[in-house]
Amino acid sequence: MKQRNTINRNKAHHIVLACAALSLSACAGTMPDTSVSELANARTAIAAAKAAGAEQCAPKLQAEAVSSLYWAAHELTEKDYHPDENAELIATAEDKAKQARQKAMKGCHEVIALKGVNFDNDSAEITAASAAILDHAVKTLQRPSHIMIEVAAHTDSNASDAYNLALSNRRAASVRRYLITHGIAANRMTAVGHGESQPIASNDTAAGRAQNRRVELRVLN
Amino acid sequence: MKFTLFLFTLLACSWTANAGVFTSTEERADALNAQLKGNNSYHAYLARELATIAVVEKGQYDSRVAKAFIQRAEEEAAQAGGAK
Repeated sequence: MKQRNTINRNKAHHIVLACAALSLSACAGTMPDTSVSELANARTAIAAAKAAGAEQCAPKLQAEAVSSLYWAAHELTEKDYHPDENAELIATAEDKAKQARQKAMKGCHEVIALKGVNFDNDSAEITAASAAILDHAVKTLQRPSHIMIEVAAHTDSNASDAYNLALSNRRAASVRRYLITHGIAANRMTAVGHGESQPIASNDTAAGRAQNRRVELRVLN
Repeated sequence: MKFTLFLFTLLACSWTANAGVFTSTEERADALNAQLKGNNSYHAYLARELATIAVVEKGQYDSRVAKAFIQRAEEEAAQAGGAK
């Protein structure tokens, strides 16, 4: 009799423990399944953005894409299915991921814009006004002496692509040379011409073209 | 038997308290946002986005989904490494 009571008590303990464990696990909840077919395009776009480096270069856009994907996955499981809202969430996920990928493809190096360092038309010569700004950049670069820099030069859209690429290479080399002669170690800098491929203003106006003839310092590490 | 049940209840309560079951989704979202202030990493952004969704779902009385999202948000926040 006593033995049977002990067995029953042990059984009761086990049941109580099992119920408690089950109730605790039920409280935890699980994230919705994102592998459903409706989300295939969004998943592909997010994966492509991630591969392009969007988590580093466009973190906000990529996070918005991923969170929209999860939210859409949840909404798809709802009994009172809202096709318009779901379509909007899926489109948001896809759109944000595409934006993130585009941003990542452009590169995400910190850029030290050398505002005012522009060039005369068809020239790679550093003007007096530009030299003053470069002198200031020299002081900036001397402080964190470990950083590696790409001197990136650009042109407006006058002349052919090939000519502008060569001109931008000369401009980048010209600025790099200036920085070297003012004490920045040559092995910390590379010079890259981007031609007319990365305009920051319209090439339809003289003012816009002047802005596009520019140099930037891109921090590589 | 009574003593065992008492001990078990204590243990269960400590588990649930540790899991944040007694803390509301809104409070957890607020804590997460405070923790990640100034952090602009991918994981920090994702944590904030997921926490926002959790609060919205909680507002729509979907506690189960709210819990899943806030839990995931906290995991992302942990990966983000807190405030920067």
